[in-house]
Amino acid sequence: MWLPHWPITRLSRGVSVSPDRPLVTIEAIRGVRHLVAVGEAGEAQGLSPGQTLTAARAVCPALVPIDADPLADEAALARLAAWCERYTPMAAPDPPDGLWLDITGCTAVFASEADLAQDLAARLERNAIPHRLAIAGTAGAAWALVHARKSRTILPSGEERAALIDLPVTSLRLDSGTVTGLRRLGLRTVRDLLRIPRAQITARFGALPVLRLDQALGVMEEAIDWPRPPIEWHERLAFVEPIGTPEDLARALGRLAERLCRRLGEQDKGGQRFVARFFRVDEVVPQIAVATALAVRDPAYLAKLLSEKLETVDPGFGIEMIVLEAETVASLKAPQTQLADVAEQDACDRLAGVVDTLTNRLGADRIFRVAPQASHVPERAVRRVPPLPVRQPSWVGDPAASRPIRLLRRPEEIEVIAPVPDDPPIRFRWRGVSHRVRAAAGPERIAAEWWRGRRSGTRPETDLIRDYYRVEDSDGARFWIFRAGLHAADRMPRWYLHGLFG
Amino acid sequence: MRPSFYIVERHAEDPAAPSRDEGFPRPGRLSRPKALPAHLAALLRGHAKPAGALLPFGDPRVDGCLGGGLPLGQLHEIGAAGLDAETAALPTGFIAALLARIAPTRPVFWIAALSDLHPPGLLPYGLDPNRLVLVRPSRDVDALAGMEVALREGAAGAVVGEVGQFDRTASRRLQLACLRHGSTGFVLRRWPHGHKAADREASVAVTRWHLTPMPSVKDGEEPGLPRWHVALTHARGGRPGEWIMEASDDATHPLRVVAALADHAPEPRRFRLAG
Repeated sequence: MWLPHWPITRLSRGVSVSPDRPLVTIEAIRGVRHLVAVGEAGEAQGLSPGQTLTAARAVCPALVPIDADPLADEAALARLAAWCERYTPMAAPDPPDGLWLDITGCTAVFASEADLAQDLAARLERNAIPHRLAIAGTAGAAWALVHARKSRTILPSGEERAALIDLPVTSLRLDSGTVTGLRRLGLRTVRDLLRIPRAQITARFGALPVLRLDQALGVMEEAIDWPRPPIEWHERLAFVEPIGTPEDLARALGRLAERLCRRLGEQDKGGQRFVARFFRVDEVVPQIAVATALAVRDPAYLAKLLSEKLETVDPGFGIEMIVLEAETVASLKAPQTQLADVAEQDACDRLAGVVDTLTNRLGADRIFRVAPQASHVPERAVRRVPPLPVRQPSWVGDPAASRPIRLLRRPEEIEVIAPVPDDPPIRFRWRGVSHRVRAAAGPERIAAEWWRGRRSGTRPETDLIRDYYRVEDSDGARFWIFRAGLHAADRMPRWYLHGLFG
Repeated sequence: MRPSFYIVERHAEDPAAPSRDEGFPRPGRLSRPKALPAHLAALLRGHAKPAGALLPFGDPRVDGCLGGGLPLGQLHEIGAAGLDAETAALPTGFIAALLARIAPTRPVFWIAALSDLHPPGLLPYGLDPNRLVLVRPSRDVDALAGMEVALREGAAGAVVGEVGQFDRTASRRLQLACLRHGSTGFVLRRWPHGHKAADREASVAVTRWHLTPMPSVKDGEEPGLPRWHVALTHARGGRPGEWIMEASDDATHPLRVVAALADHAPEPRRFRLAG
């Protein structure tokens, strides 16, 4: 599919443009502004890409120049490609102004390839997107035809050679330098090119012309960079009339979930990540994704998870089709039916339900369990693990080493009065409040692991040896404080508060 | 989307409850009152005695005030004053001691925006950190919604939520979720530094507790077992009381009462040691 004047189409969407004032995009090359793209209206006025802006102004004073933005063009093209996934899951943008659609096996829904092309053309027409379509057995042939022929072409497989033989060499997706070189040798059409021994072309122009020729003729495979890998677990539901109410969408999602889960069930699989994409009438495709802690294939549950996020979907003027995919699939055995397991299984399922609901509401990293980690440094003694499946690591630590119930993320420096450098302080000040120490236990010496962190000379102070004390103030509040580093002759060691006891 | 039940009621026995005019949420923001099963409505109104299980403290002085023990499958509110309103260390220990004795095989959801809970510190209170499922919302509203989800699914043995602002409507929703699914909910009142605000309206939590630290009995020069001044400021179907409690190793009773305070006025300083 070729979208001539794509930058102009993109810019003029949603703006009413009069044919007398053509939009053009410009780009400064060495200080001189040149036209990059001119629309149909511009062409009618006699403008052409490559002209300088001053020359163009002389031809058509009313033109509206806009700076070219190839990145935005590409992004818009990618969006259009996503919208084209209504026809095939294999749709890729071909910058700067083309789209690849692999419709192999996708015509089952339509009567024929021509009907599919007709449907696509009608939709693009409705959205005022100028386009040309060609269907061929190879990507190269389709590209050549779409650029060479004004009318829509559908080429049966195997006839590439006959169709291409009279086309100019420009239709082989070659860069302009090569094309000029070929022309200079009098090679204007594909037929001319085929007559020359291949080795000579390769010697003169590199491997590209021969490669493109082979790809167009189907002798050689061509790999297209599809934006998404094809997904096997894929269900779609198209509507005769566009739908838009949340109830309708929820019902449709339920139907899709049922179909997808049935298919998953047939192969003892369950999905862990699902994406529902909503194809709107205009070329926007909102989507919602849900993830689950355990693989699931319960349609009611899946539909519930999806429906909770449905409010983020803006149906616009209506949704024509919904696609539900299971992106991550894991094996899931049929549920246990033995009596002893039922209660446990049920509890686990319910836990998974809460975890999934919260994960999808708050984000995946916001719900977790904890597991001990072999480190004496308190900040590293605990690590996060996913909430499911349930593990039972052992937490047995040193019974003599008591740990606070609240641990500050970063130790906070405190001012202390300590009579003897090696003793706990008798008074300290934290967050502007003074505390008199009534009882203290310690020290417990904790040193950072030597294999971690930077060289000792550049380590932060709190990374050195710490002497921890458990202190209780006159009110009965308990704190975990430490002295960082050893007492040195030239300076007093600093004190930090690291945690609180209950 | 979410069903919302709204019960028009006042607590005759609760002097802390606001009058109908001031604390009453405007109608229209909540869905219309729906008919609630009679037994739930009665429970919520506090007319019926909660039929669920109780967690006895093992001391008649406390259990007497609570009508036999801490009612499970209900909502409880625990707060502290001063430094502990900010750090929540004291209430955390108190809740951990209770949680260790509630449904010991089932998970505990701990919903808190701050990440300073240190699981190894729960071990002395008998709470297995493996039971914890930590949830970290970014706002109080999300914390309350998360609590409701966790309570509603009934998967958790108990749900703890650390929240600052907590109005009557939110407490009603949580209490209903507790009642319907039998999970016990604890709301730990906690404010960021310097943001503590008085409640405009009292929650409908079945019990409300207020904790203050107490100097422990020293073990030589070292601090002894943690000791708290525990005030039960509101107990539905019971009466308020105040005690001095210590953490206990007992497998069934979470805390040990050291002394009952005769009057209800908070007077923790009485036990302050000189020097």
